[in-house]
Amino acid sequence: MNEADSRTGLFLCRCGANIADFVDLESVASRMRDRDEVAFVETHDFLCSVAGKEFILETLKGKDVDNVILAACTPKMHLKGFQKTLGKAGVNIAKVHMANIREQCAWITKDRDKATEKARLLINAAIKRSAYHENLQQKTMECLTDVIVIGGGIAGIEAALVAANAGRKVTIIEKDISLGGSIIKTEEIAPNMECAPCLLAPRLTAVRENENIEVVANSEVTDVTGFFGNFTVKVRKKARYVDDSCIGCEACFEACPVSCPSDFHLGLGERKAIYTAFAGSVPASAVIDRERCLHFTDESCSACADSCPFQSIDFSDSDEELEFSGGAVILATGYDNADSSLVRNLGYGDIENVYTTPEFERVASSNGPTGGDIQDRKGNKPESAAVIHCAGSLSSGGLDYCSGICCMNALKVGELIRKQNPDAVVYNIHDRLVFKGPEEQSFYQKQIDDGTIMLKTDSHLSVSIKKKNGKVEISADGIDPVQVDMVVLSTGLVPSAGTDELAEMLHIDTSKAGFFKTDHPILHETGTTIDGINTAGCCISPCSSSSAITRAYAAAGDSVSRLIPGRKLELEIMTAVIDEDVCAGCKLCISVCPYTAITFDPEKKISVVNEAICRGCGTCAASCPSGAASAKHFTNRQIYAEIEGVLNE
Amino acid sequence: MSNFEPNIIAFVCNWCSYAGADQAGEQKLDYPANVKLIRVMCTGRVDPQFVMNAFRGGADGVMVLGCHPGDCHYRNGNIKALRRFEIFKNMLGQFGINRERFLLDWVAAGEGQKFQKVTTEMTEKIKGLGPLVIRGYVESEVV
Repeated sequence: MNEADSRTGLFLCRCGANIADFVDLESVASRMRDRDEVAFVETHDFLCSVAGKEFILETLKGKDVDNVILAACTPKMHLKGFQKTLGKAGVNIAKVHMANIREQCAWITKDRDKATEKARLLINAAIKRSAYHENLQQKTMECLTDVIVIGGGIAGIEAALVAANAGRKVTIIEKDISLGGSIIKTEEIAPNMECAPCLLAPRLTAVRENENIEVVANSEVTDVTGFFGNFTVKVRKKARYVDDSCIGCEACFEACPVSCPSDFHLGLGERKAIYTAFAGSVPASAVIDRERCLHFTDESCSACADSCPFQSIDFSDSDEELEFSGGAVILATGYDNADSSLVRNLGYGDIENVYTTPEFERVASSNGPTGGDIQDRKGNKPESAAVIHCAGSLSSGGLDYCSGICCMNALKVGELIRKQNPDAVVYNIHDRLVFKGPEEQSFYQKQIDDGTIMLKTDSHLSVSIKKKNGKVEISADGIDPVQVDMVVLSTGLVPSAGTDELAEMLHIDTSKAGFFKTDHPILHETGTTIDGINTAGCCISPCSSSSAITRAYAAAGDSVSRLIPGRKLELEIMTAVIDEDVCAGCKLCISVCPYTAITFDPEKKISVVNEAICRGCGTCAASCPSGAASAKHFTNRQIYAEIEGVLNE
Repeated sequence: MSNFEPNIIAFVCNWCSYAGADQAGEQKLDYPANVKLIRVMCTGRVDPQFVMNAFRGGADGVMVLGCHPGDCHYRNGNIKALRRFEIFKNMLGQFGINRERFLLDWVAAGEGQKFQKVTTEMTEKIKGLGPLVIRGYVESEVV
């Protein structure tokens, strides 16, 4: 169909006085009525009202039009509604167009002639464009409704439980040997001082007993392909050398002759070459550290196998390559503690009694290396301690951001020390404090009431630390130096190791600080730049445990509410399309597509758009040198017609 | 020349700059009616040929307005537009068109005031440059 053949129905909206007072709609209507391609022009006070929509349908009865233009407000407000109304009259969604004569004409100038002239040109452009509009159909796709969770800390666990309780099969892929993430390394969570391991234990049981959840621990993601509704995640499951019959009875631990530093204790305690992270872990089974185990290093030992009551040891175990499919992916990869190299200038590594807050947590934890007895590396109980806020944070050489939760962790040190030694002197050295709400503020006040001495410096960057008289002395601008037995550096949070690689595999973006970038900071915080990949916990930004879990609920809810068994997914309508007769196979479109929605067909030697992935940005169409790629509803022809329309009547 | 009212076309992305223009309207921020918007889903969709087509069709100035870097609804289409139009601007002179007649800028959905500012400044600038006259321009060689 060409321009002359197409018949347009034109509705003008007065929008009460909003348009009518500033645009001479009568003059516009009379000019448009004379045009061959205009079937009719009708004006209404409020087209978007119930009466307006009835008027539209009534007007169209018995009329033969190819497309409809509504000259009214912004299409961002009412286009969908008009498309729905006109759909009842059999008008295809792509044949409903709006000319924005309110926001772009009536409301931007008090010069009625100019507003009227501009309105006429915008309507002219809409008419010319509409001549090239093509019917577009809503396509649908079968989808998988299962969910894949990457990361098994508290956020991943909660997301998995929500999805599993909704009847979905859930796979949790965890890189550590068992679930638990960061929270299991914490003793109590401020400000309410909830016992973290007690809080986690029933959740681990719930995962273990849930038939819908499969835990794949000691595993790393190697590749992710697919799209919302149909993701495939490839995983390398590392050899454990202990099979599933192990119940974690720990009989082998005593038998094992090898001791080595424990990651779980951040190097502050030891474990054996065969170990579990903690009692009651999920999976329960122990794992053998191949690098340390004497069976693998010189074949001199099989003590664990000999002591095992279940014959669970399997030295022949090997890595496995596994594949999981699901409709949605939830990332719950958490955070890492900031690299200790950022706090070397604060005595870390040089002065023995300087710890980071995560290390102090281990020292204070009942599942830690000292069984929760707070003592320094020599076994002495500190009579005094100083906590340095913002260590390595808010500085050009360190983290340039505030992690938001470290002030709480820093204040908690005093609470934990005084619990064991009520007479201990605890200083908090800071130049600013961040508390998110009333409970945090109350906790701060309680610490002061209980004896914590807050010392406000002129700048956290001026803090320096040295050994003096067998103690550690802290100086800073604006405070008198203090001498203490133990120093705790309150460090910030960074994206967990492997975040970049995972982002690349998933084709999602990362933020300036290196966390996964959220889809929208307000409307869709737990989304990512790819549909169907949600986030839970701290992997988008540092947050409290409660927020981590709230995000998990959001991510799981978003995933399961959009993947309903038996219901098809609606795909983007205005996708790109590649004309296979014209495509020269240069692959330029593949290189510019932000979603890897275009693949190369090696047989036909052409590029092919996967409409399930394409979001319709049209970047491929702008880049295609041969004109084979086009963007539906934003074709060159349509845009050229619109350009012509706004320039000439 | 003082009565010269230029034709200016602004290609705006659906998510940020079109919404920014809507906000300018909602807040009744006057800006020159000379500027006419053409909505595309992303500035990544704007083919340099659209801009040439607009100049050829009678536009005296052309703008491409998109989401701020980092805010693209489609991850990075605006950055692709930025790269594309940096090269394009350098080529405009070869077509006998002053590169000042073209502007690529970022206007967020909440930046009605910025939309008003860039469109007003562009209109003033084009008024100063006068009507675009393309000399010795052979249509068939460009399209």
